[in-house]
Amino acid sequence: MTTSTLSSRAGEVVTGNVRGVAAGVSRELRELRRSPDQLMALVTAPLLTLVFLAIMLHANRHDLAPYAVLAPALLVLWQMALQTSGDTVESERENGSLEALVATPSPLPAVIGGRIAAVTVVSMLGFGESWLVAGLVFGVWVQVFHPAAMVAIVLVTGYATACSALVLSALFVTTRSARTLQNVLTYPFYILGGVIVPVALLPMWIQPLSRLVFLSWSSDLMRDALTPAPIEAMWGRLGMVLLLGTVALVVGHLLVKRALDRSRRMGSIGHV
Amino acid sequence: MWRIHTREVLSRVQYRRDVVSAVGVVGLRREFGGRRGQPVVVALQGVDLQIPEGEIHGLLGPNGAGKTTLCKILSTVLLPTAGSASISGYDVATETAAVRRLIGIVFGGERGLYTRLTARANLEFWATLYGLRGPAAHLRVDALLERLGMERWADDRVETFSRGMKQRLHLARGLVGDPRVLILDEPTTGMDPVAAKDFRSLVTSLRAEGRTILVTTHDMAEAEAICDRVTLIDNGAILATERPSTLGSWITRYARVSASGVPDERVSEITSAVMEIDGVAEVRLTSPGALLIDTAAEGAAPTVLRLLLDLGVTEVATTRPDLAEVYLRAIGDRGMRIDR
Repeated sequence: MTTSTLSSRAGEVVTGNVRGVAAGVSRELRELRRSPDQLMALVTAPLLTLVFLAIMLHANRHDLAPYAVLAPALLVLWQMALQTSGDTVESERENGSLEALVATPSPLPAVIGGRIAAVTVVSMLGFGESWLVAGLVFGVWVQVFHPAAMVAIVLVTGYATACSALVLSALFVTTRSARTLQNVLTYPFYILGGVIVPVALLPMWIQPLSRLVFLSWSSDLMRDALTPAPIEAMWGRLGMVLLLGTVALVVGHLLVKRALDRSRRMGSIGHV
Repeated sequence: MWRIHTREVLSRVQYRRDVVSAVGVVGLRREFGGRRGQPVVVALQGVDLQIPEGEIHGLLGPNGAGKTTLCKILSTVLLPTAGSASISGYDVATETAAVRRLIGIVFGGERGLYTRLTARANLEFWATLYGLRGPAAHLRVDALLERLGMERWADDRVETFSRGMKQRLHLARGLVGDPRVLILDEPTTGMDPVAAKDFRSLVTSLRAEGRTILVTTHDMAEAEAICDRVTLIDNGAILATERPSTLGSWITRYARVSASGVPDERVSEITSAVMEIDGVAEVRLTSPGALLIDTAAEGAAPTVLRLLLDLGVTEVATTRPDLAEVYLRAIGDRGMRIDR
């Protein structure tokens, strides 16, 4: 195979993935506009903020207000990604469109990735919701001491969330009980990700495991961005989120492709 | 035996070397099951099929014959257990990217569309997957909506569509990638007669554009109306590939007449009278008072009907034998003629 053939093939692969992601993003945004039920998780963010903040303020722990604001937003971020990663494949199967999708020139992992990415972007509204509720209801306006860093952390976290959800969607391609799996995977990630309780407060034996979950780095970084002290080793920690996300992207892409090849062999792609 | 085998092998090699068919299928086999003690179900057994470019080819057979399995393999959704299949020379199992750029697939039924989106949004999504963006995608989508007579409903949600409109949208979706080979799996299921007629003229116009169309159906009339050639498939095996007119004449020739309410005391008299008609192959008493008359010549069935009415039997009907039966009887006759 000549170099030009190889580069032309690589170009085709990149183009195919880009158009798959573009199609996935555009369709998901259109569907979300017409299916507000898929945005239900965003309704829970303000409610959870109210609960967490009420408890902390009642205990006179005003210093924990940033925790109460961040936790619901991170919960929503993960919940919506998990829900989409499972529902994407399952809903295409139920809809009878999965086989037609597989038969297009765009790779299915890219289309799924695009849909998850769109949902992840929308779920970031949770950060704004929590912040507003804390301010409007309790008069607690949580200050972002490092706004530029916060923006970078949120964006990289969104990227890692979408990539991690792609790994999960690979499981959902092969399983017929995707929704059960979704429920099982929700809470362990909240704990390992230090979403509510920082990882440093968890038992020692669980901490190495939690460091494999990008959310544990993200949640710590976000909390640091809400404190006046400089963020320690920010770029290294942010790099970890980026690295874990990219590893998930590569693994997710390969797993979805492998699961798809297996389904083609077994003849189970369109089976509900 | 040896000669036949050699001829088969040579013809397969010939196909691969000399003719790049739009659709080429050689010794295709597909099995399902066989794991954890499940029984093995053979959906396709050694199917050979060549469809030249620009042909409308019908795949005709009853439910469970293997039509959809073949379509799924050709559309790269399913891998064959053995044998090979290609689209314009590209192997469907190993050169999927090239195949997917060449094909359009329409699976039958209402499912497969995004019902909360409009017809236009549905098509734009699929257009993007085929590499069309911006003005090019809009142009293609508009042209297809117009071609399928759906401009008025372009911005309506699909969930408000009738079954026939959904079928039209399915067809538009299948065409959005400008395919050279279009695979239509039972595309007229649920269509009303007017929509089915429109569908037929659409398919004919697609052939005029040089596209190759593989259409599965279990409706002989539909196959006759649009196909250049028809392949009969049953139990995963191809029975014959013929022009539709040939198959049509077989079916007419082997029409069956059933009579009921025949008094017991008159059964033998009526049987003898019917057997005297030229072209009657067999008369059977299927239940008390019910006769089934198989014909084996064109024009025999109307003569039988007239005779039965003359004899005072008024509960009569004609039925078509199933295609596999027609084929076996036709081939059997041909074989007898050769033997003579």
